[in-house]
Amino acid sequence: MNALVRTYGRTLTGLFVFLTTAWVIGMIVIPQLFMVERSLWVRQESTQLSLQIDRLYNDISLLRFDAQAAPDIDKPAVENKISKIEEQIAELEAQEKTPQKVYTLSNYTRMSGLHFKIFVRTIIYAAMVTVLALIVCYPIAFAVAQVATPQAAAFLMLGLIVPYAINELLRVYAWLMILDYQGVLNTMLQWVGVTNLAKHEWIPFLESPGAVFVAMVYAYILFMVFPIYNTLETLDRNQLEAARDLGAPTWRIHWRVAIPHAKPGIAVGCIMTFMLSAGSYAVPQIMTRGTSGDWFSQTIYRQFFESNNWNVGAAYAFTLLIVCIVFIFLMMLVFRVGVRDIAR
Amino acid sequence: MTTATLSAPATPVRKTREGRWAGVVLNVYLVIFFVYLFAPLLVMTLAAFNAYDYPSVTQWRGWTLKWFVELAGDQRILQGLWNSILVGVGVIVVSIPLGLAGAFILTRLQSRWTGLLYGVLVSPILTPGIILGISTLIFWRNFEVPGGLFLAMMAQATFIASYSMLMFMARLQRQDRSLEEAALDLGASSVLVFRRVTIPFLAPTIFTAAVIAFLQSIENYNTTVFAIGGNWTLVTEIGSRFRFGLSPVINVIGVIFVALTIIAATIYVILKERDRKARAAR
Amino acid sequence: MIAKGKNVVLDGVSMVFGDFTAVQETDLEIRAGEFFSILGPSGCGKTTILRMISGFLEPTTGRVLIGGDDMAGIGPNRRPTALIFQNLALFPLMPVWENVAFGLEARGVSKSKRRERAMELIDLVALRGQEEKLPGDLSGGQRQRVAIARALAVEPAVLLLDEPLSALDLKLRQHMRAELKDIQRKTGVTFIYITHDQGEALTMSDRIAVMNQGRVEQVDTTDVLYDDPATPFVATFVGEQNVFRGKVAEVADGFAVIEGPDGSLRGRNRSSLARGAEAMVFVRPERMQFLNGAALDNVVSANVDRRDLEGPFVNLFLKRDDNEIMVHLTNSGAAGRDLEGEQRIGFAATDALVLPAGELARD
Repeated sequence: MNALVRTYGRTLTGLFVFLTTAWVIGMIVIPQLFMVERSLWVRQESTQLSLQIDRLYNDISLLRFDAQAAPDIDKPAVENKISKIEEQIAELEAQEKTPQKVYTLSNYTRMSGLHFKIFVRTIIYAAMVTVLALIVCYPIAFAVAQVATPQAAAFLMLGLIVPYAINELLRVYAWLMILDYQGVLNTMLQWVGVTNLAKHEWIPFLESPGAVFVAMVYAYILFMVFPIYNTLETLDRNQLEAARDLGAPTWRIHWRVAIPHAKPGIAVGCIMTFMLSAGSYAVPQIMTRGTSGDWFSQTIYRQFFESNNWNVGAAYAFTLLIVCIVFIFLMMLVFRVGVRDIAR
Repeated sequence: MTTATLSAPATPVRKTREGRWAGVVLNVYLVIFFVYLFAPLLVMTLAAFNAYDYPSVTQWRGWTLKWFVELAGDQRILQGLWNSILVGVGVIVVSIPLGLAGAFILTRLQSRWTGLLYGVLVSPILTPGIILGISTLIFWRNFEVPGGLFLAMMAQATFIASYSMLMFMARLQRQDRSLEEAALDLGASSVLVFRRVTIPFLAPTIFTAAVIAFLQSIENYNTTVFAIGGNWTLVTEIGSRFRFGLSPVINVIGVIFVALTIIAATIYVILKERDRKARAAR
Repeated sequence: MIAKGKNVVLDGVSMVFGDFTAVQETDLEIRAGEFFSILGPSGCGKTTILRMISGFLEPTTGRVLIGGDDMAGIGPNRRPTALIFQNLALFPLMPVWENVAFGLEARGVSKSKRRERAMELIDLVALRGQEEKLPGDLSGGQRQRVAIARALAVEPAVLLLDEPLSALDLKLRQHMRAELKDIQRKTGVTFIYITHDQGEALTMSDRIAVMNQGRVEQVDTTDVLYDDPATPFVATFVGEQNVFRGKVAEVADGFAVIEGPDGSLRGRNRSSLARGAEAMVFVRPERMQFLNGAALDNVVSANVDRRDLEGPFVNLFLKRDDNEIMVHLTNSGAAGRDLEGEQRIGFAATDALVLPAGELARD
């Protein structure tokens, strides 16, 4: 703190500390805690309360019955008694209408079979997207970083940046057009006689979860290329030439020299790709046109805005966050990188 | 010594042959990859000019610009664009100061807590966007603030500020600390040091970070869709249109995005090249 | 034209970082208006002392006084010092004149006055015509001058220089030495110059402090430091030395006789060693001569190993067991070229210095 104060003085240092604190507390930590808190309770309608109300209603009926059966009874006294009981009932009913906040883990444990299936499938697909993106992207990153001449590298970079800069939704939309019933792919299949669009004989690519998968690989592939490119760019080309000069075959050069150097980039690329695919709402929403609920993010959305069950939605969201955190630590462990290497 | 020199040429021959094969395979792969990257964009672009009512390139009904005209008259899209710009400006205003403050503290503070603070400040980047939207929505509900443009801006700023911070940190780590010390030594107050030395040094990065923050905000969907409530931005409006019949108007938006990106990228490359030449001339 | 320099006193100053002592308790007085150098190998603590004087570090113990005023709690921007950084730290985005005028800007001087004063200083350092250029467009020597002008603009009583010449090539460095010395004389400002280059320190300074491992080993004028070093470290760090080891066998009249593997050698007993003490005898290469009939107090024989021609002089290296002996000859035409085999070399007792055995400077 002294170094900060000495350079920037008390006022500016105070401002920096205030802004950072507001960011950490007000925008990162507290909102997350509120979300977790929200996931940990339900509004419970007390069964005891309704039993009690039922009993009181019984009492009233009994009193009325008694009053009718025995005409010599003090009517005003009975009426008085009944109205008192009615007041009590009104109070209890009001309590019943504002149900109590009860802390419980049931939002987590009561996930339905269908939701659980969607959750597991989302995680598996996200992991597959990550692996596939890694396999596809490593050679690209290597080629741009190491093989190309500076001019060619600049050109290739441009080619990577242009699709990267175009909106995620529109990138996915392009795939929707390709895989649509009367889309590019089905038309091409018609040319070879596999499909017949006029007779509505097409392959329903969009109805298979694979469509989401394909679009997702396309949408997030570049988040894998750039981190790996950034690390491979710093690899001294002489190291590769030295390895080749020592007689190492191509695969060994990659396995022993290039990949170990690219480890932080691979870790970051995997984390970003997994996180984006597991939490993607845009891709499944567009590929299924909002009709089916194949992805966990859609399930969460429905809890909030269709079932209006924010507590369950918060629990699902937190579950997804936990999975992502576990994945981050897993990557840090597998690639032996620290927090500082991630997110640079 | 002599034998070693004589046997040496054997290695380079093997090296070039295998190297060339690897190179050819890599080049073919590169071509396939870029076709994969650009073919969908081409499909999308072509369909914007097709007179057919449904976005398609296979059902070709002739060239038209009518979808561009239709877009220009689409009030919801235009309003969404305006909302996106408002949110984007808000995100710049919030995330640049936050990013700067965080970067100053993390680069200048020597403490064992900086590691933890760093982890917390970059965590929004590693958090799925929908979760940022959800937590912001739940948090502000306690203050009776419903979903809308303000919440969308706050939710986006949470992680965009982290990106800004990383950019400022990278720049600050390259700063020559003795410049600030020299200014102090010459009698400058800390405010003057900040204004005359630190900010001018950071200025190009502040500009870049603001542009990137704005673009990230405009493009964002996953976070925004949870925090936007009944209001809409350009992107959430596009998203909601997929539910009901598709129209080539969306392709037109795509074409505009592609065109703007290519123009921006070209300007960037030209400026960079000019800068390189100016530097070489010096 | 500029306020006269002030003296700087370090009173029991030390600096500890964690469990590393950068500077041990030091008392030092730098007189007003002198050119004072702090000389030592890298990591000896000289830069730490400089940063304590300029105010970037607060000493762990002790006080720093400038012109008699205690500087405790006074930041670098309120001390009457100006620092010239090793890398100069010119503001890259400001033209030369704004760099020079920055200290005045910090003091709220109006723009026209700033410019006027900056131009005077630009003239002083012979940079007229360069005032609108950016530092990046200047040569190394020009940048050096901008840094000096910028530091002088705030009229400091003490100018601190942190090896500012180390990035320059040899010719320019020699030229800038003369220029610095000249500016110091003209302005009367106290100069405190940090360097690891003993040649630089000897040519410019009035007095030098030699530091080693956080400790000041000796403070003296340049001549005394060269002819009469106080410790083996100073003796070998400043200039070249031949070293002979042994035990004190005899002491008399301020001289001592040392018995060792090189025979018995006599030299000045500067630190009054007693008989039996482990000792070292130091002799400068230029005080040694080949014996051709002349009688000298000390004689050593050794084999000629190699001859290095430096131009105006010649270095002859001789081997005697593990010890290398260096003899400096004035080059009066192929000096020492025909010397071969075993030779007898000698030196006067007044040119030999006996010091207690201790750490030598590493080359």
